[in-house]
Amino acid sequence: MLFALIIVYVVTLVYFSITERFRHYASLVALQGWVLAGIALLRLHAVDVGELIFVLLETVVFKALIVPYILFGIIRRTGINRVHPSAVTGFNALLLFLGGLIASVGVTYFLADTTVNLAFFAVALYGVICGLLLIVTHKRIFSHLVGFLVIENGVFLFSMAVGVEMPFLINAAVLLDILISILMLGLFVTKIGERFRSLSTDELTSLKD
Amino acid sequence: MVLCFLIVSLLAALFTGLSRNRCLAAVFAFLFYAAQLAFALWIVLRGRGETVLSFFTLDNLGAMFHLLTAVIAPVVYRQSLRYLDTEPVREFRIYSLALIGLCLSVTGVYYADNAAVTWIFLEATTLATAALVYHRRTARSLEATWKYLFVSSVGIAVAYLGILLLSTAVTGNEGLSYRQLLLAVPGANPLYMKVAFLLILTGYSCKMEVFPLYTVGVDANYAAPTPASALISTALVNAGFVAFFRIYRVMAVSEVYDWCRNVLILAGLLSLLAGAVYLRRTNNYKRFLSYSTVENLGIVLIGLGVGGIGVFAALFHLAVHSLLKAGMFLQIAQVGRFFGTYRMNRTGNYLNLYRIGGATVMMGLVGLLAFPPSGLFVSEFLIFREMIATRRWWLLTVFVLLMCLVVYTLCRRFAGLAFRPEAAGTTRPEAISRTATWLQIALMTAVMVAGIVQPRFLVDFINGMLM
Repeated sequence: MLFALIIVYVVTLVYFSITERFRHYASLVALQGWVLAGIALLRLHAVDVGELIFVLLETVVFKALIVPYILFGIIRRTGINRVHPSAVTGFNALLLFLGGLIASVGVTYFLADTTVNLAFFAVALYGVICGLLLIVTHKRIFSHLVGFLVIENGVFLFSMAVGVEMPFLINAAVLLDILISILMLGLFVTKIGERFRSLSTDELTSLKD
Repeated sequence: MVLCFLIVSLLAALFTGLSRNRCLAAVFAFLFYAAQLAFALWIVLRGRGETVLSFFTLDNLGAMFHLLTAVIAPVVYRQSLRYLDTEPVREFRIYSLALIGLCLSVTGVYYADNAAVTWIFLEATTLATAALVYHRRTARSLEATWKYLFVSSVGIAVAYLGILLLSTAVTGNEGLSYRQLLLAVPGANPLYMKVAFLLILTGYSCKMEVFPLYTVGVDANYAAPTPASALISTALVNAGFVAFFRIYRVMAVSEVYDWCRNVLILAGLLSLLAGAVYLRRTNNYKRFLSYSTVENLGIVLIGLGVGGIGVFAALFHLAVHSLLKAGMFLQIAQVGRFFGTYRMNRTGNYLNLYRIGGATVMMGLVGLLAFPPSGLFVSEFLIFREMIATRRWWLLTVFVLLMCLVVYTLCRRFAGLAFRPEAAGTTRPEAISRTATWLQIALMTAVMVAGIVQPRFLVDFINGMLM
């Protein structure tokens, strides 16, 4: 079951490369939230109830429901539902993402150690690489936001890969992360979308020497 | 005492936020800064050691940077009052709270005894800084806030990956307390340590304003109100450094230490190069001072990289730089008000038009150039000495070349401000507070005194950080 969820997670990451519609991005982020919830349930079954509820709240309520809801809201409000025309084409992006997958598997085996779960490690690393690729290959700020959320999911998976046992600190860090993400989404919804109508990074050029 | 400080600080912050009156809000804010200064002095004089809060330890490293922040922050707030005198009470309160929030979160970073707790407080600084950068609510400040939030969050997430990997590398370790890490790290997986170090350096570089993520700090300083930039360029940069330095100390007892030092030299040189190149390109004083911060932090990384006395020099350099850069930013805030612009080509003849202000800029220039009696001279001299002692001739050559470029640009730009004829059509809308200028002079005098005498207790205090 766990392995199946990891495969689904990888598929969502690859799908990010070929899709060009923002609605699909938002749906994929929601799906990743559910997959992470499932993985967290299967991985953290031995921890206490309070912690389990916290993890589920973070994955299901926040990652799978609230964030996608805000993302769909942004799409509705701005009326922009496609990546920028000058973004890397689907085929090239797919090649890049598959290259990222090979690289992350290679790095994982290079770093192989008994202290980490290799499958988790490789997929988490792939998640981070995909997030970075989404940011650098796209021009619209929405894609960058989704890239950041994909990186956050990768980091979440990574914390499970290394099996960190510091519930209080990790929870505090996660809470702060949630706060920052909500602030970014809020800023996006209320300010950026209004001021920069095309949502393109081409408009963000007033800060220069 | 720690709890007492925390309660007073939080109450002062609460009342600052609740005050409906500008004057009352300022009084509570000053109460906060007074409490912070008293607390920092108490720690320096007698309060170092364990605390009732299990994730914090009051040590020399935190105490020095806390004291610097406690000295700089009230001066910054005093100058901010003049900056904010025409703004609505609501904006005034938000600004005051953001400054207090930044001070509290950097204090948390300074004293955190656990890598995860340090990370949490660094993340908190992002929120406070974003509020300061967005203060003007213009398109430019919105862009800068967005970039700051975005790049900082990505950077901090990368640093978090590094911390998680560090916890994996240190097999058998039950937590991320720095003391536990120091004990457990000698047997750690070297490959994991190297990757963790790279990730943490990259992540924290957005706070330290060094290569590779230095641009976000430059943009934040540019868009934030200038007095706030003084705090961002000092207290926040110091917080990033402290967070990184604690990891550096852990690496120093591992087998990958030499490799880490080489990485630091490379990152330091690239920061110095970026600073030197962009110092020449920019036409804005705020960006100019921000690139100067990048350049100085590059020198600090090189100091850590060469090791030996270079580590002491790096800490000394950063402490002196904090006072100097705060003074310079605040003085440039006055220049901006005086000429109504921060553009270099629209200013000039400052020394004749406002003698004390011009003299302060010249004093700051001597400080930044690291000419005697600037305190930076001592630190840079020690770094040079260590480079020669360890026969790093290639490093010395590149370092000297880049420093020549920096010195030339600094002289050209600030001499232009002081002596070049003023551009036609320049207006001077406001009278300047001489008291404020004297506060800047006081900060810079401290820099000069540090260059002439280094009291035994100060040297011992800094040496205590290396333990």
